[in-house]
Amino acid sequence: MNHKTRMLRIFATLILCCMTARGFGQGAKLQLDNLNKLGDKAARVTDVTLDGSLLSFAVSLIEKMDEEGDKDIAQLKSIIKGLQGIYVKSFEFDAPGQYSKADVEAIRAQLAAPRWTRIVQSSDKHTNEHDEIYLLKNGEHVAGVTILVAEARELTVVNIVGEVPIDKIAALERHFGGEKNSSKSKHKKESGHDDE
Amino acid sequence: MHFSDDDLRAALKRKDPGEGFTQRVMARVEQAKAEGKTQPAKKSNGSGFLLGWWKLRPAWALAVAAILLLGFAWGGYEYAEYRHQQIAQQERQRLEDLKPQQEEAEQARDQAILALRIARSKLNHVLEQAQIPVPADKIRRQRL
Repeated sequence: MNHKTRMLRIFATLILCCMTARGFGQGAKLQLDNLNKLGDKAARVTDVTLDGSLLSFAVSLIEKMDEEGDKDIAQLKSIIKGLQGIYVKSFEFDAPGQYSKADVEAIRAQLAAPRWTRIVQSSDKHTNEHDEIYLLKNGEHVAGVTILVAEARELTVVNIVGEVPIDKIAALERHFGGEKNSSKSKHKKESGHDDE
Repeated sequence: MHFSDDDLRAALKRKDPGEGFTQRVMARVEQAKAEGKTQPAKKSNGSGFLLGWWKLRPAWALAVAAILLLGFAWGGYEYAEYRHQQIAQQERQRLEDLKPQQEEAEQARDQAILALRIARSKLNHVLEQAQIPVPADKIRRQRL
């Protein structure tokens, strides 16, 4: 095999690797548009779509934040730097039964094995609550996380794409994002999400 | 006009310069020397005038010099102020141009924080529902 052919093969392999990595990144993003119709029925809607240049803006601003005396900001910086996209859709309803099983199934269908792995599942028949956490792994690394919370009066889907340090997210301070960082996002109504 | 040889000969014939020719020549040379010394003074008429003014009216000359100095200082100050204002104006314009981008970035940051807040909240909720111990750090805080 001459030098030229070998170089071409290396180049082709590199391109293939890049495309695979990109494909994995994009594959972690879920199609959540089918939930948009629930916005009219919901009392509270939170819709966050953050990727590409907007996420880069956010990362650059968060990295400039002063972490003096605030462990959360340091934690936040380490979480956000590996992310490629954050997508949240959360609907809170005044009455139960406002969303259908099909709405949830449309999301769940995208979280099928073998790509996605369900790591946590819990259901409560009394409260009609069904919660799941899915993980997308790329070798040893986490390439995406989806949290699906389906309660009688609430439906929340959190889809995070990229290297997601779940343990760090779970360990963020209780007050994180509350008083210190008031949200001005474009969601319809401010979500009342805090610790349940 | 036609000249004959005799005419030319008569015209170019030696003539006696007369008595005291040498003295007259020397006198003219001396006179020319004396005139040569005073000539440059005539040429530098302007500085001579100022020098003359300085000699005649030193106070006035000082006053003119002071006014000129003040004029230059004031002009320099005004120019520096003008440049300063111009730079400040340019900086304001630059910041004004960056404002929408900055607002967009701040909005994106707030959205990211909100999204992570929801993610944390839901993650911990699901873990609690599934009766999986939440991270030790959080347990410690809750006990506190």
